[in-house]
Amino acid sequence: MKDIKRRTFLKTTSAATIGALSPINYVSSKESINGKILVVLELSGGNDGLNTIVPYGDDNYYNHRPNIGIKEDKLLKIDDYFGFNPGIVGLESLYKEGNMAIIHGCGYDNPSFSHFTSMAYMHTAAPNSGEEYGWLGRLADQMAPSSYKNFIINVDKTQSLAVKSKNHVPIVFDNPERYQRESFYAQKNILNTIINNNDAEINSSQKFLNEIANSANESSNLISEAWSNYTRRVDYGIAPVDLDKIAALIESDIPTKLYYTAFRDNAFDTHVHQNNLHTRLLTYASDAIRGFMSDLERMGRSNDVVLLVMTEFGRRVPENTSLGTDHGSAGPMFVIGSSVKGGHYGKIPDLLNGLDEGDNLKYTSDFRSVYATLIDRWLQVDSKNILRKNFQTFDIFDRTV
Amino acid sequence: MINYNVNYKKIYYYRQWENMNKTNLSIILFLILISINVHAKESVNWYGDIQPISNQDWNLSKAKHLLERAGFGGTPDEVEFIFKLGLSKAVKHLVYYENISVSNMPQFDESNIHDPGLINFPPSRPATTKLAKETGEALGVKVKESGNRKLQPIVNKFFFWLRASRLETKRVAYWWADRMINSPRPLEEKMTLFWHNHFANNEQKVRDYRKLLLQNKTFRTHATGNFRNLLIATAKDPAMLYFLDAGQNVKGSPNENFAREIMELFTLGVDNYEEEDIREAARAFTGWNTNDLEFIVNKNQHDTGSKTILNKTGNFSGEDVIDILLSQDAASKFLVKKIYKEFVNENLNNDIIESYANILKQNNFELKPLLSAMFLSRDFYSDKNRGAHIKSPVELVISTYKKLGLNNTPGVPDFNQSTTAMGQTLFWPPTVAGWAGGKSWITPALLMERGNFARSFLYPDIDFIDKDFYSPDPKIIVMHNAIKEGADITSATKSSNGGDSMMMAESNMMADRDEDFNTRYASYKGWQMAVSRVKPIMRNAVNVNFTSMVLNSGATNSHEAVDYLINRFLIVKIDGKKRDMIISFLSDNLGTNDLLQAETYLEDNLRLVLHLIMSQPEYQLG
Repeated sequence: MKDIKRRTFLKTTSAATIGALSPINYVSSKESINGKILVVLELSGGNDGLNTIVPYGDDNYYNHRPNIGIKEDKLLKIDDYFGFNPGIVGLESLYKEGNMAIIHGCGYDNPSFSHFTSMAYMHTAAPNSGEEYGWLGRLADQMAPSSYKNFIINVDKTQSLAVKSKNHVPIVFDNPERYQRESFYAQKNILNTIINNNDAEINSSQKFLNEIANSANESSNLISEAWSNYTRRVDYGIAPVDLDKIAALIESDIPTKLYYTAFRDNAFDTHVHQNNLHTRLLTYASDAIRGFMSDLERMGRSNDVVLLVMTEFGRRVPENTSLGTDHGSAGPMFVIGSSVKGGHYGKIPDLLNGLDEGDNLKYTSDFRSVYATLIDRWLQVDSKNILRKNFQTFDIFDRTV
Repeated sequence: MINYNVNYKKIYYYRQWENMNKTNLSIILFLILISINVHAKESVNWYGDIQPISNQDWNLSKAKHLLERAGFGGTPDEVEFIFKLGLSKAVKHLVYYENISVSNMPQFDESNIHDPGLINFPPSRPATTKLAKETGEALGVKVKESGNRKLQPIVNKFFFWLRASRLETKRVAYWWADRMINSPRPLEEKMTLFWHNHFANNEQKVRDYRKLLLQNKTFRTHATGNFRNLLIATAKDPAMLYFLDAGQNVKGSPNENFAREIMELFTLGVDNYEEEDIREAARAFTGWNTNDLEFIVNKNQHDTGSKTILNKTGNFSGEDVIDILLSQDAASKFLVKKIYKEFVNENLNNDIIESYANILKQNNFELKPLLSAMFLSRDFYSDKNRGAHIKSPVELVISTYKKLGLNNTPGVPDFNQSTTAMGQTLFWPPTVAGWAGGKSWITPALLMERGNFARSFLYPDIDFIDKDFYSPDPKIIVMHNAIKEGADITSATKSSNGGDSMMMAESNMMADRDEDFNTRYASYKGWQMAVSRVKPIMRNAVNVNFTSMVLNSGATNSHEAVDYLINRFLIVKIDGKKRDMIISFLSDNLGTNDLLQAETYLEDNLRLVLHLIMSQPEYQLG
């Protein structure tokens, strides 16, 4: 009976599953910056998509996961087929307000089950290649000449490969209060001196350090001021995942267009006894996202920002014997914002016939289609050079964009 | 007597200095120190050359480079000691260190916070309370017969141990830092640090300082020994077994976590095995487990069936898998690359990797022949490789303290807080892959933190708060105050949530919903129990007299003072414009160029200068 539900569900949503191929009017290359901001949130460790957006209408889900499958009555149901994990009340409200697009089955060919390799593929948007720069780094290179300062901000302890760029030095920090040099007044002149050393004798590490030092000098005041001028007026939950810091910077009118942050430390790597832990992690992430959206609304910037939520891979479809799940392949991505037309996109993976021999989901949407959607349709830049080929895009933004 | 090639441009430059005619021994030493930046001409073509340098090539600057890489650098006296040994004895002294006694290195001073009830600590708070409900007891504490919050003492103890183990691990880090500073076997400590990054286990998951301490000792025992022995010891190490879920890896339902990481991160690297090899190898490790701090094999959980791993078939044990992995060509190359990145240059030269991999293979994975060859090679001393290594935060802090001549790790600034601010916490690597190292150590924020670290020991924070002792969580502080004022637990929890005024996020609303116990209160009690039982860290500041350090060097004017400090602390030349600015800064502040004239008020100004020097990009290089 449930299988019938699945079929009717697919039928009713089929209109949205096909990427619209309507022409896109790119902003001309001279003014290739349209005032739109893209924020990326990474759920590192491999988020279990099946226990995040649960296909409770499919018996196969419970067959694969007799112990860790989340019971129908515990779910936050969004329709006859899918229910949200009980921890993501924040996302449920965003979905019901029509501001959350779920793109199903995102993945790529010959998936890697290594966190580091798969994450590198997601970061470079170039699976199984030796691409040196990140997709956001290449995007910045195409959008803006090198003279454009502070184009990318990566809130984290260390820089993500996703923002590595040929022409831009991303601002990377995790604590804005400490994003400054402590010094006596008299020392400032020397500490703030920009270094222009093109001496052939200096080694590549030294050149690199000089570039970073200059970027630090140029951005330090902007960041500290933005943070000290900001007051958190909405609840971001227990772990704001640095989205509050991004909100502070957006409010400060810093010219940054691309932001990147991560739920750190491989937290979503839930091999063992996963349900309590996974729900808690999702709650933290979802509270923070809800808080961020409310904050943008408060400052009147909702229409300028969209948030992409991604991870390096989904988890294996059948549960393991430790009440957890092992590294898998495809999973859903989320695009959230008031300009987003909420709903389901992409083909729903088939839990019966859509598994490979390793019990992993065969992907139904290339994850680069989601990147392409954000690049072409949100930032209105031609994604072809950045992603190396034309990817199908999804019609997920309001006409007014 | 001493053979070094002098760059003539430099001589001209330094000739402008005053007081050059002093025939003072210390000035001669000073000149030698200056020559550290003066590279021998022949080193230009040394890059990629595995041939050893000759005794004629050996000089003080190469000794300084060697000590910096094979250890954590040292004072001018320590550099001179290495130099005077001569090339081959110096390398031997650093690599073949077994005869150098470390019996005066203290053992870790335990706080004694562990008790038998904490053995087999459950994986989570829900698992603990579930166990208590089912058995009437958990963590060695019984469920209360009747009354409110029957599980409260158990949950208190749960949070006590989380906190106490964490605090004790920070003390283990302090103990290790002291050892890195004082050990007469610097390479032993440097390789122990290397293995901590290679087999990166994290307190957050292991949650038992005893296991991490044990693992640290294992890394030290095998630091420069045989890699196969180290790999087997690590595969049987309680922290590693726990960290990669060995307990879940049983016959009939293997957990692939360890099998995957031993191939991907410990021996071969990606693309050198198939998913099927991981699944099969996991079977060979089934039944490997721990009984608290002991390695055991649960025979009835071990899969004795035939396995096929990397094209070999047999009834393999875990040890057999390790031998199969090490017999792959990829294994020696993988390890050599990692060692080369750490000790020579993060940018690899593939020709030389091949040669080093052969040395490792020919010596059956003994590490000393490889390390010796590396430290003797022309490649190691080539211009391209000297001063090209970006120090990790731990290296930066330890080498700074060593070069200051300290013999313990100061309590202010806090060692763990300092390195954490710069991106590295001992026993808390971010993932099982460890710290990425190299350029990833540096971002704009982290670079500024490195300068701030220098300032923090030059100008100790008189507003220092021991964050290990005082909870940084405002919710716990509010709770603490409410309880102190006689509030009941529910009201205290409510006020710690900010009262009714704020619309609460989902996670905050869940804080007090179980009636059997109160999580927030347990977290507060656990904190108190932990700080009353874990021994404190001594909070001493750095006590160094920079005035005598600089004057004893023979420096008489601002130029010489600045150059002395640059040469004592740095490996590479500081940007010329910056150097000139710092010299003028010192002269302006002193009101004179003459150090003796300013001797009585020199100290503070030298500290300002050292802060400026250590804030420069060049200070990050070793």
